[in-house]
Order: sequence, then structure tokens, then C-alpha cells
Amino acid sequence: MATRARVVRMEQPATTGGNALLLLVGLTITFLLIVALFGAAKAGGSLFTESNLLYVALIFYAGAGALYMGFGVTGTMRYVKFASVATAIGWVANTLAVAHRWYLSGRPPFASIYEMLLSFVWTVALLTLVAEKKFDVKIIGSITMPLAVVCVILMQLLPSEVRPLVPALQSTWLHVHVTLAMLAYAACAVSFALAMMFLIQDGFATENFLACTTAIVSAIYLAIVFTRFDNGGLSVTAWDASTKSDMFLGRGMRLFVTVPDLGWLFVIAALGAMVPLALFVMGRWKKDESFLAVANKAVFIGTLLQVVVLAAFVLRARNASYPSPDQDGLFPTSLAASPFLLGGMVTGIFASLLYLMLLWRRSDLEGLLPSADTLDRVTYKAICIAFPLLTGMIATGAYWANRTWGSYWSWDPKETWAAITWLVYAGYLHMRITRGWRGRRAAYFAILGFGVVIFTFLGVTYLLPGLHAYA
Amino acid sequence: MAVSLQSIPKRIHKTFANLRTGVVLLILTGIAAALGTFILQRPATDADKLARAYSPATLQWLDRLGLTDVFHTWWFLTLLGLVSISIVLVSIDRFPNAWRFYARPYRKTDPHFRGALPNKVELPITDSEDALNAAERALKKSGWPVERIDGQHEPALYAERHRFSVMAVYIVHASLLLIFAGGMIDGVFGYNGFLALQKGQTSNVIELRTGGTRALPFALRCDSAGQEKYADGSPKRWWSKLAVVENGQEVERKEIVVNDPLIHKGLRFYQASFGNTGKLEGLQVAVTSPGGSARDMTLAMNAPVQLDPKTTVMLAEYIPDFFVGDNQIFKRSDDPVNPAFRLQVKNAASGDDAKLWIFPAYNSTAQGQQTDYKFDYRDMQMGYFTGLEVSHEPGQWLVWAGCLLMGCGLFVAFYLVHMRVWITAVPDARGRLVLWIGGQANKNRDRFEQKFNELVDNIRTELEGAAVIPPSIKKQKPELTLAGTK
Repeated sequence: MATRARVVRMEQPATTGGNALLLLVGLTITFLLIVALFGAAKAGGSLFTESNLLYVALIFYAGAGALYMGFGVTGTMRYVKFASVATAIGWVANTLAVAHRWYLSGRPPFASIYEMLLSFVWTVALLTLVAEKKFDVKIIGSITMPLAVVCVILMQLLPSEVRPLVPALQSTWLHVHVTLAMLAYAACAVSFALAMMFLIQDGFATENFLACTTAIVSAIYLAIVFTRFDNGGLSVTAWDASTKSDMFLGRGMRLFVTVPDLGWLFVIAALGAMVPLALFVMGRWKKDESFLAVANKAVFIGTLLQVVVLAAFVLRARNASYPSPDQDGLFPTSLAASPFLLGGMVTGIFASLLYLMLLWRRSDLEGLLPSADTLDRVTYKAICIAFPLLTGMIATGAYWANRTWGSYWSWDPKETWAAITWLVYAGYLHMRITRGWRGRRAAYFAILGFGVVIFTFLGVTYLLPGLHAYA
Repeated sequence: MAVSLQSIPKRIHKTFANLRTGVVLLILTGIAAALGTFILQRPATDADKLARAYSPATLQWLDRLGLTDVFHTWWFLTLLGLVSISIVLVSIDRFPNAWRFYARPYRKTDPHFRGALPNKVELPITDSEDALNAAERALKKSGWPVERIDGQHEPALYAERHRFSVMAVYIVHASLLLIFAGGMIDGVFGYNGFLALQKGQTSNVIELRTGGTRALPFALRCDSAGQEKYADGSPKRWWSKLAVVENGQEVERKEIVVNDPLIHKGLRFYQASFGNTGKLEGLQVAVTSPGGSARDMTLAMNAPVQLDPKTTVMLAEYIPDFFVGDNQIFKRSDDPVNPAFRLQVKNAASGDDAKLWIFPAYNSTAQGQQTDYKFDYRDMQMGYFTGLEVSHEPGQWLVWAGCLLMGCGLFVAFYLVHMRVWITAVPDARGRLVLWIGGQANKNRDRFEQKFNELVDNIRTELEGAAVIPPSIKKQKPELTLAGTK
């Protein structure tokens, strides 16, 4: 009976809902493109500017992401075909944007965090297409395309003007070093996605995914509340629109403004993420399964709350002026002033949606993914590609540092964390090859490795001071 | 007691030759390194900042534990040393087995071994010698070096590729030790320092990064230096023209820029910074005499210049960035953005002593009531220095050699597969004569399976060409045996 019910459920959306989503995504893409075209035509000037191209890439990536996720939920194979076409078009636009910037600046786009993200998104989209066409891992787009969308949105907020290179960056080694870094990080991202899929195929309990997801979301919101909550309001950096940069009180001291009452919303969102986590812990402790059902409903409500908070944040922090606790008067702020708040919030929503997808369609997902054994092997292969690239990145970085700063290794935070990343993956390889670690333990290791990569890439740049200040 | 004493070195050896110990040491190193990035570090951050960041008691403890300079403390260096020892011992422990495997690969095709191989195929044949010859030709055509194995019951062929890839892991570990050795040599014999030179200055004393100074065996002279800026004011290029002076003689000259250092006798001089000394080198003014004739002259600080036999002018004061308050002139900063100059004009005959101010940003002409001369601002030159990073790293060549070796080692270890193929002619379970083909790879097994099947296809074609396939099954597909041949 149970299997029969599943078959019926699988078939229904495939016939009716399938076309609806395709139509919806297609119409949305067309509508957005036409609106953008009118906007561009009205403003005059060239159509093929970098920001226009990037906008096209964003629209198609978002459409592809929606279709991939639709495929994840319903299992309609036709979605994948359209999704990969959308990804390919987005990737072409992305390539043109990269080429345009490269042509204008006369150098590859690797010099700032904006340009790094531009290259990163390009690599991720390419790897998604490769994974789909060559290795037949179709579902990977439902993770990588939303990631690409988050990155492109982040890029819209980061300062994007072509800055001339400071003397230290004028070196061929910059390009070698950064190319290797991007490739290595992208390979690590792919190994992470594969390891997560392995856990799904290996029968990793859904409630453990619940615990991980809610822990991540809680951590994001608690971090925001602890650092930015101010008397019920939320502190955000003031933004100077004329110079396109944060406002500063003094050297290295940013000027913060407080958006009133918004802080409480973040507190509520943090609580909304912690409730399912608490329910999970209670369920484990009391060995009572009924807690989990409540926890899953709480995740759904928590996700809605996150969307509400994001909407409220976007509405209130976009181009408005607020008082500052440090100085009299009103100061303007903008979304561009808080890229990492936004990034954190979008990541939280994205993680929650992935969990809900898993919760509702786990058995279908399992049918779509390759076998656990294959995923385990491909994860290992991805790391076999990532590790030599990481090594090359560190070696070229050291050589370049030696030519610029006069020392190949100065225990700078970025260097140190790159070495730690390398050690983690070296540990993975040793455990796998000599100790025969397979399956779960290897997958945990791959996930840990990618966590360290993220910290090295973004965390070190924004949290720890050092020489490696450009990115 | 004596027994346990004797076993202590053995036990230590056993502990460090254990992979688990190695991994624990690596984890500890990682944690220590991470601590070093979270806690502010001594030479990089100045004392004031540390004092502001931590309370005195905390700072005292951090200092005592070496946590404010993790990467140079004895315990961190010991940890790195133990890691190297562990790598050496683990490698030595595993080496004999690997070497045996490498030096004397198993070539025989006894039934027990045949049963254990993962990939194998049996092709029915009519004559064993002809079939083996055909298989040898097929292997050679596909680029495999083939050996005949004699001295066992049935004749056999053995072929393999990329055998050295089993040793690649030792190359990688050796390269890591090479890098460590380079780092250690630099830690002991190397030094880093800073040298600031003004135009025309010669010096051989550098300020060490670890504190103190050091005299170099030769001196360096800065002939000139400068910077170029982008339109938005950010620096584009810094350059210095340097000369190496040894025993009073100039032996080498080079213009260095960032990313292109001067190298002399194992010492490297890098363009690190550029700045002005805050001192004025010269002020150009146009002087108009009472008669109306004008001429240009350059004034230096406190150096009187004759204007006519009775009158002298002297640059008496320079303020780089001035502001006026209470009818007095004050200095705001050391950046020469809004300079002010005071000239002193003395007339020996009348005893007049005129003070004139020039403020180029507002009014570039200075005229006094007590003098008939008029001064027009033309230009000014600031004294500047070029900041050179000096490093002596005799071990760096070991580090680069290690990096290259590691690249090669990793490539071989990850991407070259040790593949082996055994072929023999034996009767199968039903007593028919078959050509038995078996193969194995040490990694990437699914890819090898493809290659193996291609190879089998080639051999089959060759067998057909040599007419050694029994006519009855020529058209049939040969059976693939997946289970053991027992």
C-alpha cells in the first residue's frame, strides 16, 4: 500500500504541476529580461555592460535554481533539461561579464573580494554543468545554483568599480595563485555537496539533519543578535553613497547607526531557530519521537519567520537614514553596508529550505541520487583533485610572498589557515588510504574540511587582521 | 627494572612510528596554529595594542605561555620537530614492505593468486604457445612492456605500468621533510630586517624584525627613489635605484620595484615602502630685486644666501601643514599638504631684519615692509626615504625544491595508476584450454576495469587473427568470469 501511494504521488505532479513550474519560471525570466531591457534602453548607453550581463546571469541562475529544486521535490526529469539550459545561458552571460571586466581592466578579475566571487560563481556554474553531464549527478544544481545566486546578490552589494592594482598585487603569481585557490575551493565545495548527498543515501537520520540545520541557523542569528542588538534596534554600518564605502568615525572605526525595533525581530528569529533544536534535544533525552514531529513544524514556522525578518531588514535598511549612538544626527545606510548580515540571513533560509526539501521528499531524493558507494568514491575523487590544487595554491602563494614581502612564510592568519585546511585534507587522505576510513567518517571529514575552507576564504578576511588584506 | 629501561627507546620508537601518534601531533599543531591566529601576536602587533586588547594579568599569562608569539615558542617548534620525526619513523616503518613490493613484484600465476584477482577473463584457445604470442603482440601494440614468466608449471606473461607510483607517497613525505629542513635552516641562520635609506645615504646596518640591529658585510646606497600614483591617489609603483658598496667600491647597481628585489650574496632587498622624512630639502623661489630684475634660486634650511653685497636671505622655518589661531601659526600634521615657509632677510648695512611668510596654497608672493625684495614661490622638494625589507634565507632553495618535488609526488600519487596484467594458458574448470587474463590496479578501479576490457578486446582480435580460437565458439561472445576459477 505504501509503495502504491508513493507512485501515485510521484506521477501527479509530473503531469500537471510540471508544466506549471516550467511556465512560471519561463514567464518570470522573460518578464524580468523585458523589464531590464526597457530599463536599459531608457537609460541609454551600451547594453553589454558588466552589470547588465551579471543581471542576466543572476536571472538565469535563479531560474535554474528554482527548476533544480523543483526537480528535487517532484522528481520531474524534464525540469533538469531546462535547468541545465538555463544554467548554461547564465554561465555564458557570466563568462561575458568576466571577459568584459578583464578587457576593461587589462588583467584577470582576481584582485578584490568582488572579483573573486565573480570568478568563483563562474567556476561553480561550470562544475555544476560538468558534474551533471559527465558524472550524471543531476541534483547537485539544487545546492550549487542557489549558492551562485547568493554570491551574485552579495556581489551587487560589494564595491565593484575596477580599482587599480596596488604595487604588491602587480605580479603574474597573483593570477596563478588565485586561479589555483578558486579551483581548489570549488573542488572542496563539490566534495562537500557530495558528502552531504552521501549522508542522505547512507541513511543518516533526518532528525540529525534537523539538528545540524537548526544549529547553523541558530548560530547565525545568535551571532547577529550578540554583535548587533542595541536597545531593541539593530546596528548596521552607515553608508556613504557618494564614495560607495562604509562611513568611518576614525581610523578603522566604523560608524554604526541603529535601525529601531529591528533587533527584536532578530531575537524572535533566533528563538524560532532554537525552538526546534531544543525540541530535538528533548526528544533525544526523553526518547520520545513525538517531539520530532513538533520540531519539524517548528522548522517550517522558523523558516517563514526568517523570510519575514529578511523582508523587514531589506525594507528598513535599504536607503534610509537612522540615528547613531556615537554621533548626533541621522546617517544613511544601505543594503550594501551589510553584505555579511544579508549573506548570513540568505544562507540560513537556504539551509532551512534544503532541510524541508529533504524532510518532505527524502524517499524520492534517494531514488534520484547515485548509490551511496558511488557518492563515497566520487567525494574521495573530488578531494584527490582539491588537495594537489590546495598544495599548489600554498606553494605559489609562498613563492609570491617571498618576492613581495621578503619572506615565504610569515604565519599570517590567512597563511596559517590555508595550512590548517591543507592539514585537514591531508588527515582525510591518510585516514582513508591507510586506515580504510570509508562512508560516514570520511563524509564528516569532508564536511569539516569545507567548513575550514569557508573560514579561510571569508572568515579570516573579515575577522582576523593580517597582511592578506585584499581578499 | 633493567628490562623496562632497555625497552624505553623501543617504546618511544613504537609510539612515534604509529600513524595515530602522527595524526594526534598534526591535530595539536593545527590547534596551536589556530590559537596563533586568534590571539594577537607580538612582533606584528605593537605593545600598545596588546595592552588595550588584554588585561595586564591575561597578558602576563599569555606571554608566559608563549601564546603572544606562538610560532616562535619552543613548544611550537618542538611540536613541528616531533611531527617531522613521526613522518620519518612512520615512513621507515612502512618502507621495507613497499620496497619489497616495488623491487620484486609478484609475477607468478598460481591458481590461488588467480582466484584472488578482481578482474579476470577466460578466452578459449587451441594452442597455448600461439595464443601467448598473440597476446604478447596485442599488449605491445597497446604500449605495455611485456615479460615472459618461465620457471613455473605453465608459461605466462606479465605486464605492468607505472610501478613507481607505489613509491610516490615516500616522495611526498620526503618533500615535506625537505621543506621543514629549509624552514629550520632559515630559523637558525636566516634573518629578516628593515633598512630605510634617504637619497644619497649609504648604510649597512639593518633593524632586525626580532629586535636589535645587524651589520651587513656590505653597504647599500640609495641613488634615488620615487613613487608613481594612480589618478585616485593610490600608489601605483615604488622604485629605488640602489648600489651595492663593498670596501668603498661600487660593485652592483639595480633599480628595484615591488616584486623585483635586488639580490647580492644571498641577501635580498625588497622595495617595501616609500615615504617622506618630514624634512624639507629645498625651496625654489623667484627673487625680484628692487631694480625689477628677477632670478630663481634654491634655499635650504638655515643656509643664508647673498642677494646683494649687503643683503642675505635665509629659509628660517618650515611648517608642512599649517593653520592660524590667535594670530599665530601652528602645525597641524607632518604631511606637506598646506605648507608655510618663513624667510629671513637681513640687511647688514641698515641692520633691518625682515620676516616674510610664504603660503603657497593662498598667496605665493611674499613682500615685506622692511625689505625691497619680493619672493615668488616656485617649487619645493621634500626629503624622502625608501623602505627596504632585507632578508637572508639560505634555506629557501630547499623549500622550493621541496615544493616542486611535492607537486611531482602528488601528481604521481593521485593520477598515475599502478596497473598489472597477468596472462597464462591453463585448462578451465571444464577442462578446456583457455587463455586466462587477470588484472589489478592500486586505485581508480572503475577506470581500470574499462581499460582492462579494452585490452581483452585487443587480445581477442589478435587471437582471431592468429586463428587460435576454436572454430565452434568463434562467433560467440567469450564468457566473463566474475566468480573465482575454483
